[in-house]
Amino acid sequence: MNHHLSRREFIKWQAKSGLFLATATSGFWLPKVSFASAAADIGVATGAAEAATRAAVDLIGGIRSVVQPGRRVLIKPNMSFSRAPEYAANTHPEVVKTVAAMCQEAGAAKITILDHTLAPAKRCIERSGIGPACETIAKNMVHPINDPSFYAPVTISKAKHLKTTDVAKEFLKADVLIAVPVAKSHSATGVSLSMKGMMGLIYDRSIMHRLDLHETIVDLATLLKADLTVVDGTRVLSTGGPGGSGKVITENTVIASRDMVAADAFAVAKFEWYGRHYKPTQVRHIRLAHERGLGCAALDDLSIQTARL
Amino acid sequence: MRLRRTVQLVCLVLFLALLGLAALSGTPAVMPDLFLRLDPGLVLISAISARIVLLGFIPAAVVLILGPFVGRVFCGYVCPMGTTIDGSDALLGPHRKVSRAANRLTRLKYMVLVFLLGSAMLGVSYVFFAAPLALITRAYGVVLFPVISFLSRQVLDFIRPLGEMLDLSWISFGEVRTIRFASQFFLLFFFTAVLGLVIYSPRFWCRYLCPSGALLALASRTPLIRRRVSQGCSRCGRCVRHCPMGAIAPDAPQITKHSECIVCRTCVQICPEKAVSFGGSKGVAALLADRSPGPVSPARRQFVATGLMGAGSAVISLTGLNSLYGTAGPGQVGAAGLIRPPGAVPENDFLSRCVRCGECMVACPTNTLQPIGLKAGLTALFSPAVTPRRGFCDPGCHECARACPTQAVRRVDPSDRIWAKIGTAWIIRQKCLAWEFNKSCLVCDEVCPYDAVEFRRQNNHPVPVPHVIENRCAGCGYCEHYCPVQNQPAIVVTPMDALRMESGSHETEARLKGFELRLKPTGQETSTMPPDPATPRDIAPGFDVE
Repeated sequence: MNHHLSRREFIKWQAKSGLFLATATSGFWLPKVSFASAAADIGVATGAAEAATRAAVDLIGGIRSVVQPGRRVLIKPNMSFSRAPEYAANTHPEVVKTVAAMCQEAGAAKITILDHTLAPAKRCIERSGIGPACETIAKNMVHPINDPSFYAPVTISKAKHLKTTDVAKEFLKADVLIAVPVAKSHSATGVSLSMKGMMGLIYDRSIMHRLDLHETIVDLATLLKADLTVVDGTRVLSTGGPGGSGKVITENTVIASRDMVAADAFAVAKFEWYGRHYKPTQVRHIRLAHERGLGCAALDDLSIQTARL
Repeated sequence: MRLRRTVQLVCLVLFLALLGLAALSGTPAVMPDLFLRLDPGLVLISAISARIVLLGFIPAAVVLILGPFVGRVFCGYVCPMGTTIDGSDALLGPHRKVSRAANRLTRLKYMVLVFLLGSAMLGVSYVFFAAPLALITRAYGVVLFPVISFLSRQVLDFIRPLGEMLDLSWISFGEVRTIRFASQFFLLFFFTAVLGLVIYSPRFWCRYLCPSGALLALASRTPLIRRRVSQGCSRCGRCVRHCPMGAIAPDAPQITKHSECIVCRTCVQICPEKAVSFGGSKGVAALLADRSPGPVSPARRQFVATGLMGAGSAVISLTGLNSLYGTAGPGQVGAAGLIRPPGAVPENDFLSRCVRCGECMVACPTNTLQPIGLKAGLTALFSPAVTPRRGFCDPGCHECARACPTQAVRRVDPSDRIWAKIGTAWIIRQKCLAWEFNKSCLVCDEVCPYDAVEFRRQNNHPVPVPHVIENRCAGCGYCEHYCPVQNQPAIVVTPMDALRMESGSHETEARLKGFELRLKPTGQETSTMPPDPATPRDIAPGFDVE
């Protein structure tokens, strides 16, 4: 049976639709911006440390796309040197603290922040500022893992050179691995970012120098693959890394990605190293990681979203 | 009796607590060398051999001055070696053969003292094999503490799963420092022997060997407060048999050899007639009347002979090949590769001050200070050396200086400590991963706190290579410690250009010699990289050409 629409009904129907459409973008009925379609491969945010960190992670899908309630999270920052934040040899404490806070908000059951330090552990944790900053949101998150008893042997099946290593036991227990490196140069590898940073979760690093440093970094990254990478570019150690001292450039930028190779590649391209710019493929371990399929370093193929705060 | 055991226990616990605090790397040490500075023999011999008098020596002077007033109370109540010996006495005593009153043997300790004095006159200190506090500190610190550390680690590893289950991070992430020392077996045998001597007689060491005991004995010939026997004495002889020091004349129990008496008051407890007491005398006459027969003093000839033996052995030491004399010059062969702690005084003074107590070794948080064997001669036996391969010597740490009772390692301001150069690193290029094997390494540059390792591109070298900037290097050993080359590292610290001074500022001396010892400053571009003429444009270190 045909439903005969009266003129009154028609006008009412049109008016409702019009009102609906007009108010749709107000955020009352539907979300203002649909993130599902807009999640980028790389998120870049400029601003104050905490705000930029949050914004960068939101641009790539938000923390909840990585950390679900009840998960166990391992955060790997750079805190290997006993130097204050302005030297840019360690990750900025505000960035580490914000990432930990975000994990807490996403309902993580346990959050640990670890590094195998080079300088005396207690001093690294305090002078870097990471220990004191993270204490303010929860106790007992930050620990140095310098003793061999914190490591367990594993095989790296996809490795070409570094077939076995002793990896931090916490990694084996964790569900989510988040790399939070500081953007810094490195005299042997060009840069030290998320992939190089994974050396802080194994016990014997010296073997990597004796084999082939770039190849073994990639080997390690096949095992220690970060689920989320947040590169701290608030201050960049542009020369003289990894320990400094060198030229520190204040960039106030945070880079986030679910692909650690992409994050590293973007950081190489974005910042200035020794007075000029370089292509990501000029860092051998990034090029090798791309070639071995660990991630994508071809920035032209990736969607990059920027936010300025 | 109970009072005495309580005091002994408290002193031993305090001694171990101070030593333990020094060993714990997290906490700053509190007066770690207190007990060492109470030892009169240690202090006297060191003062003579090193020709120094320090404020820190006052406690020992107090102990000695108290001798004429209260006798050898230090031996009976405070000395941790005495307490330990009493402990081993309780364990091994029942197996003891009946000891004869070894009166003549008591003079042996005076011989030891005179021997030490003889050598000290010539500036050579042998106090390290005789001073009780040096010995006992070494026993607990260098032998026992590593054992405790080992056992604690085993326990911690065992209960780790508990930390996971109960979410106790101090178990999950707790660390027990691994302490290791060289020369352990020697020390173990030595102390087993010393403590085992109680099989022959109680307090064998204190009676017959201890030079500090000898010194206190000389001061305690007629103390103000001393053993007094009333008329009620029945001469049963019980006190004679039970006196741990054999200080009561066997046939006349009223007569006491006060210089041997350690005021343990065993005689008071066991006297069936309650005839014994300790108290002050009544007037000078009583004092004089009560004067015990002097310590069985060796004939003067023997004294002189022993003194000369001491001096003689000092001379032999001083004529050893490794002995440094006068001003440095050709023909002086110091021990090769011997790196002393930062702020150590010049070697001759160092050896005459260092009592080899091991405090610095226990206090060192990276366990780099190790006792050396004979590599620098007998006089240097057990003295500390920095061992970078074991641990680096962090520029911000000066625990060794805080622990040293004789200031063989000088205490200086933290800002001056950074300038206390202990040596210089050099690269063995044929072993270096970068120089020889063309591998990207540069760990030495990464870890150097003084920014003394510079990387440069060399002609046709595919990777940057490290260079040590000698006048920026303080010899801290971070580089040698972390060098990934096995089994001997490719970068090694030698004692070359170490700053060894009696007094004064290390910074001033260093600047005079053209050293620029600074921890990495911030912000400035300190690393320059000369362009490599072989490549068209200079590429930053670690990057590839496009």
